[in-house]
This record gives sequence, structure tokens and C-alpha cells, in this order.
Amino acid sequence: MKTPYSITRHKSFATAMLLTLLIASLPANGFGQTVKEFFKVNCTSCHKLGGGRLIGPDLKNVLERKDRAWLTEFIMNPKAKIDAGDEYALKLQKEANGIIMITVPIDRKRAEELLDLIEAESKLETSEFAGTTAPLIPFTDSDVAHGVELFTGATRLKSGAPPCLSCHSTNGSGAAMGGNLGPNLTQVSERLMGREALTAWLSAPPTATMQSVFKPHPLETDEIHALVALFDKTAKSAPESGGIVLWMGVIFYGLGGTLVVLMAFGGFWSGRFRAVRRPMVNSAKLKSTKNKTGKLGGKS
Amino acid sequence: MDSSGLLLDQILFGVFPYVALFTFFFVTIQRYRIHKFTFSSLSSQFLENKTHFWGMVPFHYGLIVVLTGHIMMFLLPKLVLNWNSVPVRLYILEAVMFAFAALSFIGIIALIRRRMNNTKVRMVTSPTDWLLLVFLLIQIVLGLYMALFHRWGSSWFSGAMTPYLWSIAKFSPDVNYVTALPLAVKLHIINAFILIGIFPFTRLVHVLVAPNPYLWRRHQVVRWYKNRSLIAKLRDRV
Repeated sequence: MKTPYSITRHKSFATAMLLTLLIASLPANGFGQTVKEFFKVNCTSCHKLGGGRLIGPDLKNVLERKDRAWLTEFIMNPKAKIDAGDEYALKLQKEANGIIMITVPIDRKRAEELLDLIEAESKLETSEFAGTTAPLIPFTDSDVAHGVELFTGATRLKSGAPPCLSCHSTNGSGAAMGGNLGPNLTQVSERLMGREALTAWLSAPPTATMQSVFKPHPLETDEIHALVALFDKTAKSAPESGGIVLWMGVIFYGLGGTLVVLMAFGGFWSGRFRAVRRPMVNSAKLKSTKNKTGKLGGKS
Repeated sequence: MDSSGLLLDQILFGVFPYVALFTFFFVTIQRYRIHKFTFSSLSSQFLENKTHFWGMVPFHYGLIVVLTGHIMMFLLPKLVLNWNSVPVRLYILEAVMFAFAALSFIGIIALIRRRMNNTKVRMVTSPTDWLLLVFLLIQIVLGLYMALFHRWGSSWFSGAMTPYLWSIAKFSPDVNYVTALPLAVKLHIINAFILIGIFPFTRLVHVLVAPNPYLWRRHQVVRWYKNRSLIAKLRDRV
């Protein structure tokens, strides 16, 4: 059968496509950031400058520890260095509890600018990126309870950002069955090497999806405190297996729903065609057969 | 991710959506201007209506509910997140969406089998119809896969997908929302834009001329014309 419609009938299609590509090639978000803003958004969740180690090493005087060319390449693609078996990169990964530095999409120029910034800040007595060593207020049960509420979304985040449960699960919290688009956060406090690093991470999440979601909707200090309290508790709790049962229940009820709706269709439209078209077709067939038989009978 | 991967993401999620959307608007308008009577799904119901019912009805009702869910998450993300803030409500929403997605899957399988196995229906099936059925099947299978293995779609769609789609709508595409998402999610997005792009070349155009007034217009009584002698005379003339 012929295709009902063809693109080649439109001579001006190419013009429209060109316009489309022009609009689509407009600069994307994030290109206008200054290097300081970029550092703050992308690096401070894992690094300090003169304030000690977080998840990653303290970056003060990093250029004295490794040459600029290596650092530039590492900043642009840390995973490639690790995959290539680079000894120093593997050492960094080991020191960071096995965590691979997140690859932030940047070009060589931006990587060079970051190193310039680190070099300049390293010369200062106290860098603005040295971080603060806030006194560690002990977590209370109400902090954990508030953390659970924020995790599940029972209490909405003040910024309007989606709750953690959308993408993450965590055990031992009573936080029910969470999503699995992102990693399970039960042991996140251990993975990120403690409370301070986790707090810094939540203050400016560096992964692409988290950054996109939370950059316009940052977490408040009290919310971070409550969530860190929750993760501090979950890291010490025994694993749970109830989540998978709940999830299978959702799928089971879903499939049951499909069956019920199919039966409803069958029941609701049971007279469809049978009540109108089929009797008409059948009677027409019967008439035509009778006529034929009659004619044949007449002849014989 | 290496630079070629980033470039590919930029092309697929930053440029391709505009190619698809412009194709959709431009060709749809042109087709309506030049060939408005081709705005039809060219129903094959009269050729075969038994499998047609068990394909067409579940497929359409399933898809209407699932699409409405997507549109709600896009237009009213806060409402969806508020609804999902109570876990039981989240599970109910997900189960309902899964039920209707499964319904559309059953429907499209029935429709594909019908077009393959029924000679009369196969004769009136164009290559574009086959192409469309394949893309729709891929889209539904990916949706079901995500519901099964990347829960909870209704929540993370509102959190990550909605801002991405709005960035497209505001001509400021931010692909960072989607670059780190799982492969199935990325394929679902790309396939959705493929469907939007091929929309005006396929029977999908019938969506724009669906007989919506049927829902509220006054009923009409259709009767046979009984003057058989006149019909016989007219038939003789022909």
C-alpha cells in the first residue's frame, strides 16, 4: 500500500529544519558561570581548599603534589585515568573509599581556569573555600524522625524539590520502599566518609541529575541536618528486605487491575456488534441464501 | 562520560527534540492545509472487528490514561509530588499507571498480530503503519521496563524530567537533567521525540481530529430508508 503522506511534497521543509537547528544550537545553560561559581557548585561538595579532607583530598597546593598537565587531564576525565590504570589516580580513588571523582562536562580551558583558581587560593592564608568546621551537634530522635519525613516527602522540602524517595531507597528508617533510579542510601554516610562530607555533599550535590534538580532548589541547613541524622542511623541499622515484597505487591495489583479493566471492557461492550451489526449481517446472509435456494429450487 | 558521549547527549536531548517538534508543527499544518482529507486513521474495522476490538480498545484506553499521567506530571509536578508524599498514594498511582500501560501493551500486541495475520488488513497496511507500530511497541515496552526496574517514575519524572521538558519548551535546553539517567529512560525520551517527529506522516494525525464532540453532542437517530421500490429503481438505473 502507498504511504499516505510524503515529506518530499514540502519544498520549504528544509528551511524549517534549518531554523530548528539554529534555535537548537543556541548556547545551553551553565556556560555563563564564572570559575568561582563553577568551583563552588561542582567542587566544594567533595573538596576543601585548606580546610582538610572531605570525600576528596584537600586541594591546597595541589599543583605542588602533581604536575599541571596531569591534573588538567584528570579534571576533564577522572574515570579515563583510573581505567587506564594510572597509579596516582588509583591511589586517589583508594583514599576516597573507592569513589571515583564525578566527571563534570568541561573543556580544557575551564580545567586550566580551575587550576589557576586553586593556585591563587592556595597562596591565601584562608581561602573562601576552606570550609567551616561546625561543631558536631548530636543527633536526636526527632532529627531522625524529621529526616524520615523529608525522605518520604511527608514533609515537603522548603525549596519544592522532590523528596529523596522519588529516586532512592534506604533501610532501617521506616522510610518505606523508595525508588531505585539512584543508589540505595542506607550506607551513604559510610560511603562518603562521614557526617561532614555528607553534609557538604548535600549542600551542593555534584552529580549531573542531582545538581540539575537541587541547584535551583537547594536544601536548607536544618533539612540537611535531619537527612544526615537519618543516614547516620541507617548506616548502623540491619538490612531490611520488606521493600521488595511491597514492590511486587504494586506490580501484582497493577496486573490485577489490567485484568479487571479487560473484563470490564468485555462486559460493558458485550452487546457491541452482536446487537446491531452481526444480526444485520447474519439476516442479510440468510436472505441471500434463501433467495439462492429459492431460485435453484424453482429451476429444478 | 567522554566528550563524544557528551556531544551525543547534546545532539539527542538538546537538538533532536527541536527537529522533532518543528517537523511536527510544520508538516502537520502543511498536511492539513494541502491534504486535509488525509487526516484519518483509515479504519480497518469493517475488514475484521473481533481482534480489532481486543486490540484497539485496550490500546487506546491504556494509552489515554498513561499519556494523561505524563501530561499531569509535566504540567502539575507539585500536585503529583504532593499526592506521592504519602507512600500508599504513591503505590496506588504507580499500580494504576502500570495497569494501564500493561493494557496498552496487550492492545498493541493484538493490533500487530491482527495486521500480520489477517490478509485483508495486511493488504491495507502501509510501510508507515508498520513503522509506527514498531515505534509505539518500543515506547510501551520501555515504559513498562522503567515501571518495573526504575521505580518510582511518577516522582522522578516530576523531579527530573519535568524541568528538562520545560527547558526544551523555554528554548534553553538543559541536558544535564537527563545525561546521567539510565539507558532505558534515555531511549524512552528519544523514542518519544521520534514519535512526535513522525506524527504528521502517519495515521497518528487522527488524534487531532478525534470526534470529541461525540462526547457532548445530542444523540442522533439513524434509521434505514424504507422506500424499497425507490431504492430498487435507483439500483436499476445504476
